[in-house]
Amino acid sequence: MIEILLFFIGASLLLYVLLGGADYGAGVLELLPTRRHREAQRELINEAMGPVWEANHMWLILIVVILFMGFPSVFTTLMTSLHLPMVALLLGIVVRGCAFTFRHYDAIKGETSQKIYTMLFGVSSLWTAMWLGIIAASLDRGLINPEARTFFEAYIAPWWGRYPFLMGVFVVCIFSFLASVYLIGEAKEPGLQKFFARRGMVLNYLVVFAGALVFSASADERTPLHREFFRNEYSVGCMVLATLLFFALWFFVSKRNTLWVRLIAGGQISLILLGWYFLHAPNALLTRQGPLSFYAAAAPTATLLQLVIALLVGSLFIFPSLFYLLKVFKTK
Amino acid sequence: MDDLLAARSTMGFSLGFHIIFASIGMTMPFFMSAAHFLYLKKKNPEHLELTQMWMKGVAILFAVGAVSGTVLSFELGLLWPGFMKYAGPIIGMPFSWEGTAFFLEAIAIGLFLYGWKRMKPWVHWSTGLVVGLSGFASGIFVVAANSWMNAPAGFDWVNGEALNINPVQAMFNKAWLHQSLHMQLAALQAVGFAVGGIHAFLYLKGKARALHLSAIKIAMSFGAVAAILQPFAGHFAAQRVAELQPAKLAAMEGHFKTSTQAPLYLGGIPDVNAQEMKYGIELPGLLSFLAFNDFAAEVKGLDQFPKELWPPLVITHISFQIMVAIGTLLAFVGVLFFVFIRKNNFPSWFLKFLVACIPLGFIAIEAGWIVTEVGRQPWIIYGIMKTSEAVTPVPGMKYHFYLFLFLYLFLGFITVWLLRRQILAAQRKFET
Repeated sequence: MIEILLFFIGASLLLYVLLGGADYGAGVLELLPTRRHREAQRELINEAMGPVWEANHMWLILIVVILFMGFPSVFTTLMTSLHLPMVALLLGIVVRGCAFTFRHYDAIKGETSQKIYTMLFGVSSLWTAMWLGIIAASLDRGLINPEARTFFEAYIAPWWGRYPFLMGVFVVCIFSFLASVYLIGEAKEPGLQKFFARRGMVLNYLVVFAGALVFSASADERTPLHREFFRNEYSVGCMVLATLLFFALWFFVSKRNTLWVRLIAGGQISLILLGWYFLHAPNALLTRQGPLSFYAAAAPTATLLQLVIALLVGSLFIFPSLFYLLKVFKTK
Repeated sequence: MDDLLAARSTMGFSLGFHIIFASIGMTMPFFMSAAHFLYLKKKNPEHLELTQMWMKGVAILFAVGAVSGTVLSFELGLLWPGFMKYAGPIIGMPFSWEGTAFFLEAIAIGLFLYGWKRMKPWVHWSTGLVVGLSGFASGIFVVAANSWMNAPAGFDWVNGEALNINPVQAMFNKAWLHQSLHMQLAALQAVGFAVGGIHAFLYLKGKARALHLSAIKIAMSFGAVAAILQPFAGHFAAQRVAELQPAKLAAMEGHFKTSTQAPLYLGGIPDVNAQEMKYGIELPGLLSFLAFNDFAAEVKGLDQFPKELWPPLVITHISFQIMVAIGTLLAFVGVLFFVFIRKNNFPSWFLKFLVACIPLGFIAIEAGWIVTEVGRQPWIIYGIMKTSEAVTPVPGMKYHFYLFLFLYLFLGFITVWLLRRQILAAQRKFET
C-alpha cells in the first residue's frame, strides 16, 4: 500500500513540475526583456494558462494531503524545520495566483494596474520556483534537526547555503525551459514560435549549466546527490539519457515539430526527476539523526487503505475530466 | 503576544478570511447555473448578460478562495504540528475526498470560464453546475473534518497515543451532520442575501432594471429558502452541542449554574467573576426546552467544569447572540421575499432593506465560527488534546501573524476594489 502512495506522490510531483512548472516558467519568461514580443507573449500566456492553471496547482495540494494523512511525521517535520521556506513559498503562491487571475478579470484594463499585475506575477513566479528548489535541496542535506537547541540550527541551517540556493536557480531554469517549449506549440505566429524556440534552446543550455553547479555544490556538502550518484546505475542512466535527448531536441526544434519537442523536453525533465527519486527513495528526508523513510513514517494501515481508496476513486473522476479539459482547449 | 496567541490569531483570521470566499465559491456557481439555465431555455439575452457578470465574480473570488485554502492546508502543519501528528491519519479521509472534489472543481471552472463556444451549450452549462456541486461537496468534507475536533471519534486514546484508528468512523462523527447542514445553509443564505442586496442596490439606481430584477429573484430564492430553513438547522445543532459539548453550550448561553427549567437570555454580558448574567432579558425554562425539548430538563452549567476548562465566555456568548439575531432577522426577510414575489412586486423600502442586509449573512457566518472554535477552547481535540499542546515550537510566531495579517488585509482590499470595478464597468455598459 505504501508503494501505491509513493507512486502517487512521485507522479503528482512529476505532473506538478511538468504542468505547474510550465506555468511558473511562463511567469519568469514575462520578466525577461523582450521589446518586440512583450504584448504577444503576455496574451499567449494568458490564453494558454487560463483554463489549466487551477488544475495544475492541484498537484501540490494532493501531495500535501497525502503527506499529512499518510505520513504525518514527515509532514510535521517539514512544516516545523522548514517553517521559513514554507512560509516564503506560500506567500509566492498566494501572490502569483491572485495576480494572474486579477490581470485577466479586472473589468477595467488600466495600463498601470495591468503593469503591476504582470510585475507581481513575474516576480512571484520566480520567487516561488526558487523556494521550491530550496525546499527540495533541504530534504537530502541531512541538516534537518528536530532536536536542535538554537534558532539557527533548528530553523535556518536546514536550508541555508550554496547548494539549496543553486538548486533554486536550477528549478527556475527548468521551469522557464518547460514554459518556452510549451509556448512554441501554443504560438500560432511563426515569428513568435521562432522566438520561443530560441529561448528554449538557450534555457536548455542554462539547465545543463545550472545542473553542473548544483552538482559541484553538492560535492562540497557531501550530500547523497554527490556521494551516491555514481554508485547508482539507475540515476546515472537517467542523466545519460536526458543528456542524449539534448540532440534529439535540437533536431526536432529545427524541424519545427512541436509535438516531439514537447515530448522530449518533458522526457528530459522527467528523467532528471526520476534520477533524483532513485537517489532519494524510500527516504522522505534526511535528518541529523539519520534518514526518515516513508516506511517508518507511515500512518496505520486502516488510514493508508482509506487514502488509497480515495486516490483510486478520485483518479476515476479526475483523469477523464483532465483529458476532457485538455481535449477542449488543446486541440485545434 | 505569545506564540500560542499568535498562532491562534493567525489561524483565526486565515479561516475567517477563507470562509467568506469558500462560501461564495461553493454557492454562487449555483446562481450562475440557474441564470445560465434560464438563458438556454428562454434565449433571453439578459440572462446571458447576468450569467457572464456572475461568472467574472466567481472567477476572481474562486482564485482568492483557492489560494487562501492552500495557505490553510499548509498552516495545519506550520501552526499545529502537535495536532497534525495525531490528527492527520485520523481525519485525513475527509481531506482526501475534499482534495478530490476540489480538483474536479478546478477542472470544471477552467472548462466553464473559457469554454464558451468550444463546447455544446448544454455540456458547457453542466460544467458550471459541476463547479457548484463539487464545491458544495468539498465544503461538507472540510466541515466534517472540523466537526471531528468537536466530537472526536474513530480511535482509542491510550497514554497519549492514538490506537485502533478507524477513519470512516472519524469522518462520520456525531457532529458532522449538524455542522455541515448548518454551514452549507449559512453559505447559501449569506451569499444569496449579499448578491440579492447588491442587485437591489443596482436596481434602485435605475439602469437595466429587468436584469437586476431577475438577479434578485434568482439569488434571493436560494438565500430565502436557506434563511427559512436555517433556524431549524440551528435548533438541531444546539441540541447536539448540548449533548456533545455541554461546556460550549453553557458558554454560548452564559449559563453558570446547573439547573432545571434553565432560562434563555436575550442579549446580556456574562460576568465571569460574579458568575452571573448581567443586563440580559431572561426567558425562564426556554433553554431547557431548546436543548432537550423539555421545559423542566436539567441543563449543565459552567459550575460542572473546572474554571481552567471554561471557554472564553464573553466572546462566545456575544458571537452566539449576534448569529441568532441575524439568523432570525434574515428568516423573517426570507418570508417577506416570498410574499412579495407572489404579488410580483417588490416595494422600494424592501429593496432598500435588502441593500442593508448585504453584509449580515457573512457577519453571522463569522460569528458562528467564533462560537464553534472559541467555544471549544482550551481544547483543540475536545477532551483529548489542549490547543497549547498542539502549537508549533517555532519561536517568533508574532512575525508570522503580522506578515499574514498584512497579506490578507491587502488581498481583501484588492478584492473589494476589483469587485467595485466589475460593477462600475457593468453599469457603464448599460448607460449606452
